[in-house]
Amino acid sequence: MTSNEENFIEIKGISKNFGEVVAVDNVDLAIKKGELFSILGASGSGKTTLLRILAGLEIPSQGSILIDGVDMTSMAPYDRPVNIMFQNYALFPHMSVFDNIAYGLKKEGMDKESIQEKVERMLALVKLEGYENRKPNQLSGGQSQRVALARSLIKEPKVLLLDEPMAALDKKLRQSTQFELMDIHDELGITFVIVTHDQEEAMTLSDRIAIMEEGHFVQIGSPNLIYENPKSKFVADFLGNINLLEAKITEQNDGQIVVDCAALGGELKFNQTEQSNALEMTVALRPEKVMIEKSLPTNDEQKHVKGIVEDFGYFGNLSIYRVRTESGHIIQVSKQNRDRVEQSIKWEDEVYLSWDNDSLMLLGE
Amino acid sequence: MSGLLVKTNNSIRENLWRYFIVAIPYIWLLLFFLAPFVIVFKISLADPIIAQPPFTPFFNESSDGGFSIYTTFDNFLYLFQDSLYFVTYLNSVKLAFIATLFTLLIGYPIAYGIARSPQPTRNILLLLVVIPFWISFLLRVYSWMGILKTNGLINGFLLWLGVIDQPLELLYTDTAVYIGMVYSYLPYMILPLYANLVKLDIRLLEAASDLGAKKWQGFIDVTLPLSIPGIIAGCLLVFIPAIGEYVIPALLGGADTLMIGRVLFDEFFLNRDWPVASAVAIVLLLLLVLPIVYFQKKQAQETSEAAA
Repeated sequence: MTSNEENFIEIKGISKNFGEVVAVDNVDLAIKKGELFSILGASGSGKTTLLRILAGLEIPSQGSILIDGVDMTSMAPYDRPVNIMFQNYALFPHMSVFDNIAYGLKKEGMDKESIQEKVERMLALVKLEGYENRKPNQLSGGQSQRVALARSLIKEPKVLLLDEPMAALDKKLRQSTQFELMDIHDELGITFVIVTHDQEEAMTLSDRIAIMEEGHFVQIGSPNLIYENPKSKFVADFLGNINLLEAKITEQNDGQIVVDCAALGGELKFNQTEQSNALEMTVALRPEKVMIEKSLPTNDEQKHVKGIVEDFGYFGNLSIYRVRTESGHIIQVSKQNRDRVEQSIKWEDEVYLSWDNDSLMLLGE
Repeated sequence: MSGLLVKTNNSIRENLWRYFIVAIPYIWLLLFFLAPFVIVFKISLADPIIAQPPFTPFFNESSDGGFSIYTTFDNFLYLFQDSLYFVTYLNSVKLAFIATLFTLLIGYPIAYGIARSPQPTRNILLLLVVIPFWISFLLRVYSWMGILKTNGLINGFLLWLGVIDQPLELLYTDTAVYIGMVYSYLPYMILPLYANLVKLDIRLLEAASDLGAKKWQGFIDVTLPLSIPGIIAGCLLVFIPAIGEYVIPALLGGADTLMIGRVLFDEFFLNRDWPVASAVAIVLLLLLVLPIVYFQKKQAQETSEAAA
């Protein structure tokens, strides 16, 4: 890859203030060509502002943006090779589906025949053939979303920005639409930047995710990397469920940190080259990485703790248990319901929890 | 069993209540529109006489104790025979149309500006639009006489500037009538337009801009077509009272400013010809109502087609 493809979108030191409020705070980011990149964050984290800066709908207070090597920082939205799909689609209510999709081409001054051809091809891509004469108020949520997608893709932008693309759809539709969106992305090879608060959506869709909090990126990486190796408590907690357990550092020598974690039954060793100045650390453990059994684990080597099931939820494919350990801590466990039998572990049952040491993560603040 | 009875009773009571609520506007229209209209229509079918009231009665008691009804269409025929009325109607339409056009041209930017200003400023600006209503309409038109007359404010100012060396003839012309109408009816244009424009979703303009539309193109493609209902409402609110306007042409217009409101007034009070005055009023009403009914029917058709 050339450097332009590696750094297809370059965000350099971008900040945006609204009066006293700092929405985006000195952010740097490089997005590859053709990547499906998600910016994940809670509301108010600054993710939508950053997307609007990319679209040219907000002027950054500081910093610059390059797309394909061209400085976009002060370019008007209508001159950018970028299109955006708005959260509630922002379809023109007085125009037909055809006119909505054709709008971008009409503004380019394209001739009628080419417009007709391109719109037809786009309607086929989003599976809306035969809907061209409908008005937006005659469309379902899913159909509106497809029109919005077609409208923002028709100019073949270098970058497509999507603001919460699935937020207005119900759950079933969301899942099928996610895969369709990925297909379209693969077919067109356009760089997608998605803003979402839905971690599941970000995980399913993205090549890489940037997690945003209070105007900063706290971690950037592949979904797998961020899920299995979160850098901080915030990231670990934000992406999926996790047990965050208090621990005290008892020993630190080169390459190794020993902590005392009461919830997991005492001393735990971690290989870590970075020395920590803090005394308090957090041991993180994903619920699905904890084994729950009614009898003592056969392998004596493995560490385990004893506890009592305080609560459990049955979700069909899996069950989630909240277990109170002998030390009085709560540990969440999820268990795949692999066998088609009645639940064997229930309320007030005495259980043994065990885990692989590799599953444990030591996190600072 | 008794539960069922109670239920039916309740639903009857509910239905009555519903009819009552729906009936209120109908009763209002019946009392204050239909009844006066019928009276005026009845008078328009009579002959003028020198009596109290000054027209022939509708019901006549004949000598043998029976009743007969007297009607005549002479008044309506008279309106068509004397070209004065036709010219006056036409001139009223022309004056009202041009005044409405100017009101729209001035009112739209004002309404747009108010709708786009930040919330606290918006309320102050709206208040400023409405404040002139607190002063009597008649008084405000009189004050325009002071502004427009030969030695009035405008002429004084222009003479002082040296732009003109002789005072302009402004008062008692059509121009003065236009100024008076545009000034008086501007709030009726601004308010419905504002109510429409303030609802416009800014993201639609952002979407247009994102898809390659410059600011003015976004206005033409999005803002303007979506504000058409506001434009229509504003224009009707200005056009309808303007066409029958009496005070403004009477005070600011010249002797040659023909408006149907003045003719009506003259027929009624100077000629004491109530039947002709009534006929003039009826024709004016038809002239206004028929196009509006047609227009609304067409609009309803379009909406139902769009929904189908």
